[in-house]
Amino acid sequence: MFIDRLTQLGQDIAKLWSQYSASFLLGVRNTLILAVVATAIGCVIGFFCGVLQTIPYTKNDNIFKRFFLKLLRVVIRIYVEIFRGTPMILQAVFIFYALPYFSGNAIQFTNKWICAIVVVSINTGAYMAESFRGGIISIDPGQTEGAKAIGMTHFQTMNSIILPQALRNIMPQIGNNFIINVKDTSVMFIIGFTEFFAYHKMITGATFKYFPSAVIEMAGYLIMTIIASLLLRFVEKKLDGAGSYELVNADQLVMTAGTYNNPEKGSPYDEHSKEYPDLSERRGR
Amino acid sequence: MDNQAILEVSHLSKAFGKNTVLKDIDFTVRPGDVTSIIGASGSGKSTLLRCINLLETPTGGDILYHGKSVVARGFNPSSYRAKVGMVFQSFNLFNNLTVLDNCMIGQIKVLKRNREEAREKALKYLDKVGMVPYMNAKPRQISGGQKQRAAIARALAMDPEILLFDEPTSALDPEMVGEVLSVMRDLANEGMTMLVVTHEMAFARDVSSDVVFMSDGVICEQGDPKEIFSNPKETKTREFLSRILG
Ligand SMILES: Nc1ncnc2c1ncn2[C@@H]1O[C@H](COP(=O)(O)OP(=O)(O)OP(=O)(O)O)[C@@H](O)[C@H]1O
Ligand SMILES: [Mg+2]
Repeated sequence: MFIDRLTQLGQDIAKLWSQYSASFLLGVRNTLILAVVATAIGCVIGFFCGVLQTIPYTKNDNIFKRFFLKLLRVVIRIYVEIFRGTPMILQAVFIFYALPYFSGNAIQFTNKWICAIVVVSINTGAYMAESFRGGIISIDPGQTEGAKAIGMTHFQTMNSIILPQALRNIMPQIGNNFIINVKDTSVMFIIGFTEFFAYHKMITGATFKYFPSAVIEMAGYLIMTIIASLLLRFVEKKLDGAGSYELVNADQLVMTAGTYNNPEKGSPYDEHSKEYPDLSERRGR
Repeated sequence: MDNQAILEVSHLSKAFGKNTVLKDIDFTVRPGDVTSIIGASGSGKSTLLRCINLLETPTGGDILYHGKSVVARGFNPSSYRAKVGMVFQSFNLFNNLTVLDNCMIGQIKVLKRNREEAREKALKYLDKVGMVPYMNAKPRQISGGQKQRAAIARALAMDPEILLFDEPTSALDPEMVGEVLSVMRDLANEGMTMLVVTHEMAFARDVSSDVVFMSDGVICEQGDPKEIFSNPKETKTREFLSRILG
């Protein structure tokens, strides 16, 4: 019995695919483009929100700076709460109909793509703002103090020390958001955007083969997300760099002479006189 | 005012909320001084160092750097901090950079040196602390003693006028303490001006030119190390020393 059904399923899927593969693939393409573009823009939004939110101010700063930074934090906070706290499907409707409503139909989203990208980007940005903020504040305060202690400004510290480390730490969350976007962009059917899942509805409307089409959809989404996972792991590995390092032979370096002011000095603990004969030779001369 | 002094701390106080941690701290650092700050845990030694390079904002008194107040409004902390190096108990090397880059970044970003010059300087000081072989390592790949020596090279590469050390050997395994102390000893002998918070009494006694003993946020006694160690005047100093030296 079960075997029969399986063969039947195989035949149904083969038939669906031969008939509608172009539609399914178009859906995959649309989904991927929307997810990639919106995740990228969302990351940029999140990046700026995270960086702007973490600019420090003290009682000694002038009142305008303090007011401005505080205002910035409040605005970002409100943005995050609104777009994290409401369903994306509703945000899509909200934004899609807001423009014509307020402009008396003068302005409309004639291009579904633009509306979809705007909605998903803003939504992703709200999540990424928190990810970036979390990534930045999770870096050991010692890193900031080390940078301050050699005179680096907040901007320099952010740019060269904190963000490179924070970015590495939030890579998994960027991946998370991308994968969520691959799946959740399916709600964009509400504004008539035809991504992968929308084609399921169109195709089953014509064929009534709900289950076989669902199997194709499931497989399609899984393939997209698993490939995305693998790619992300690969990127993370690249970012981590080599696990080991090469010892540098000091004699190969062209260095200025007279580095040592006290060639005779050294204690039993003096590591370079014990363990690096090449160095101790140089010291002796 | 002392025309010679690099740093003059006068009536410095610091409170965290209602908790007063430093009270009426007075001392002076002149070129070539090696001042050791000793005292029980919680007596405010770290807070004092952190106030000096403005990682904490003092709540009272003044710190003069070549006669100029560093707590005054409009004072630029960045260029001051570049001249006042700091070595931390927990190293605070930049984890995303190699040892060499750790020693170059401040020179490039803050002192605006070009890469070649910065590299040459960095290598000079890495060589001094015996860290050239490890210059391509990331901080997580080297031992505590090596990290601290790299951190000292990073501070030195900025050509500081004075170096602050906050218990530079306290986070180290005993066998690594010696390698860091010997680097510090070399620096002292070469005439580097240093302000060292330490629990290494041998270092305080034999290397430093001045000792400051702190207790409960005040300077209890300060002066010549030989004098303080062999003939402490205050009861608190005597008690502390006998507890530490056994
Ligand atoms: N950021 C802070 N907020 C509140 N209290 C603090 C803060 N930093 C330090 N203190 C308090 O200040 C006091 C002095 O601390 P400090 O770290 O300066 O002592 P210390 O002499 O360096 O001690 P140790 O030898 O253990 O390092 C302590 O009682 C500590 O609890
Ligand atoms: Mg301390």
